Amino acid sequence: MKQYLYVFRGGRAAYQDQSPEEMQAHMERWGSWMQKISAIGHPLQEEGKVVGKAGDVITDGPFTEGKEVVGGYVALSANDMDHAVEMSKECPIFEYGGTVEVREIIEM
Amino acid sequence: MGHCPIFILSEMNANQLIDHFFRTEYGKAVSHLTNRFGSENLELAEDAVQDTLIKAMQTWPFGQVPDNPTGWILKVAGNRMIDQLRRLQKQTNEEMPELSENLVEDVSLTDINDDMVRMMFACCHPTLSAEYQIILTLKILGGLSIREISTSLLKKEETIAKSYTRAKKKFKEDEIKLTLPPANEVEKRLEMVLKIIYLLFNEGYKSAEGKVLIREDLCAEAMRLNAVLLKTELCSTPSAYALMSLMCFHSSRFAARVDEQGEIISLEDQDRSKWSDELILRGQRYLQKATDTDAVNDYVIQAAISSYHCNAVNFEETRWDEILRLYDVQLQINPSPVIRLNRIVPMEKVHGSMLAYSEIEELEETGFFDAYYLFYAIKGGILQNLGEVQESSIALKKAISLTKNERELNYLNKKLDMLSNSD
Repeated sequence: MKQYLYVFRGGRAAYQDQSPEEMQAHMERWGSWMQKISAIGHPLQEEGKVVGKAGDVITDGPFTEGKEVVGGYVALSANDMDHAVEMSKECPIFEYGGTVEVREIIEM
Repeated sequence: MGHCPIFILSEMNANQLIDHFFRTEYGKAVSHLTNRFGSENLELAEDAVQDTLIKAMQTWPFGQVPDNPTGWILKVAGNRMIDQLRRLQKQTNEEMPELSENLVEDVSLTDINDDMVRMMFACCHPTLSAEYQIILTLKILGGLSIREISTSLLKKEETIAKSYTRAKKKFKEDEIKLTLPPANEVEKRLEMVLKIIYLLFNEGYKSAEGKVLIREDLCAEAMRLNAVLLKTELCSTPSAYALMSLMCFHSSRFAARVDEQGEIISLEDQDRSKWSDELILRGQRYLQKATDTDAVNDYVIQAAISSYHCNAVNFEETRWDEILRLYDVQLQINPSPVIRLNRIVPMEKVHGSMLAYSEIEELEETGFFDAYYLFYAIKGGILQNLGEVQESSIALKKAISLTKNERELNYLNKKLDMLSNSD
C-alpha cells in the first residue's frame, strides 16, 4: 500500500444556493465517503497568505478564482495511482463542480 | 508552534445528526440573532447562518461534530454577524450600540425557544398578508429554501422568490420588531400564528393539485412550530393545544391513507392497524389539555371529531351521533357552508340518505359549491346509497372535472368504475 493525498478544490460558490436540508445531506455523503476510504485530514480556512522570499507577503488570500481555492486535504492508503483515482470517484465534491487532485506521497 | 493534530473520525460523525438538524438549527439561529441584533438585521442574520452551515458542512466530515452543535452554530454565526456589523459600521461611520464579544456561548434552549416564538409573531404580523406570512414562516423558521417552498406550495420558484423579497421589504418598512404582543392582544395574535400553522399543515395534508397527496414535511414543520409555541406559558392556550391535537390525529393516519401505488384510500377502507397509536395517544393528551378549561373553539371541535374517528374500531361503528353533535356545535360558532357540507357525512349515517340528500339540495341552491369537487363527490356517494346510479355518476363526473389532484382523480375514477360495474 502507498500513501496518497487528495486535495479538494472548488465547489464553494455552488454551496451558497443550497438549502440547510441539502447541506446536511451533502455533509452526510462526505462523512460516509471519508469513512469508506479511511481518509484522515483537515479542512482549510478560506483566507490565507502567499508568502514569498524573506517572508514578503505576496498575496492575501483568497488567492485565485473560487474553483481553485483549496478547501481541504486528506491522506489515505491505496494500492497504486489507479486505485487512488478509483477511490476518489465517489467524492461528493463533484456534485458541486469541485475537483480532487490525487498525488502520491513520497515515503521518506 | 506544535504540529497539527490529525483527527480520527470519532463515533459521533457527521452522519449521526438527527434528521433535519440543519433545517431546524437554521430557524433557531436566525431567530436568535435577529432578536439579538434587531429585526432590521434580519438579512444579515440569514446570511450569517447560511455561511455557518456551509462551514459546518465543509468541516465536520473531516473530524467530528462539536459536542454542542447548536452552541457551535450560534457562536460561529454570531461572530460572523459581529464582523459584518463592524464592517458596515466602518463604512457608514455610524455609532452602533454595544457589540459584546462574549455572546451566545450559553444561551439556554428556553431562550432560543422564546426567540422563535417572537419570530413567529413577527412573521405572522397583522400588517403582512397571509401569503407573506406563510413564506416568511417557512423560509425563516422552517429553514426551507425558496426552491423547497415553491415545490411544497406548488408555485413557481420565481414567484416565491419575488414574494419573499417583497415580504422582507414590508417586514423592514413596517419596522416589525421581535416582541411579544401585549397581554390584551396575545389571544388575537396567537390566533393568526395558529392559522398559519394550520394552513401549512393543510397544504401538506392535502395539496390542491399535483401528484403527491401528503407532503409530510410541511405537516411535520407545522407540528414542530406548534410544539415551539406550547413550550411557552404565554402560548399554551386551549386553541394551541387543540390544534396540536388535531394535527396529531390527522397525521396518525398518514401510513394508511395511501396504498403502495400512492393512491388514496378512503377513511372507510383504511387498514386501521396502520394508524399510529403513538400519535393518537399524543392527540388524546393534547385534546385533554385543550379541554381542561371550558373554552370551546374551532380547533377543539375538529380535534374532538378526529378523536372519535381515531378511536373507532371500524367505519360503521364510529360514534356518528357524537360526531354529528360536534358538527352542530361547530355550526353554531361558525355557520360556514363548508362545515355544513362536512356535516352531511355523519348526518347520513345517523338520519339516513334521504335527509342527507335534501340537505345536499339545499346547499346546492346556495351556489357556493359550484366549483368544489368534494361537494359533488359527496353528492355522488349519497345518490349511490339511494340507488340512483345514473344521477350518482353525473355527480361523480362533475367532481372529476373539478379536481386537479391526480390522486383524487384516480380515486374518483375508481369509484365511477365501480358504480358502472354495479349497474
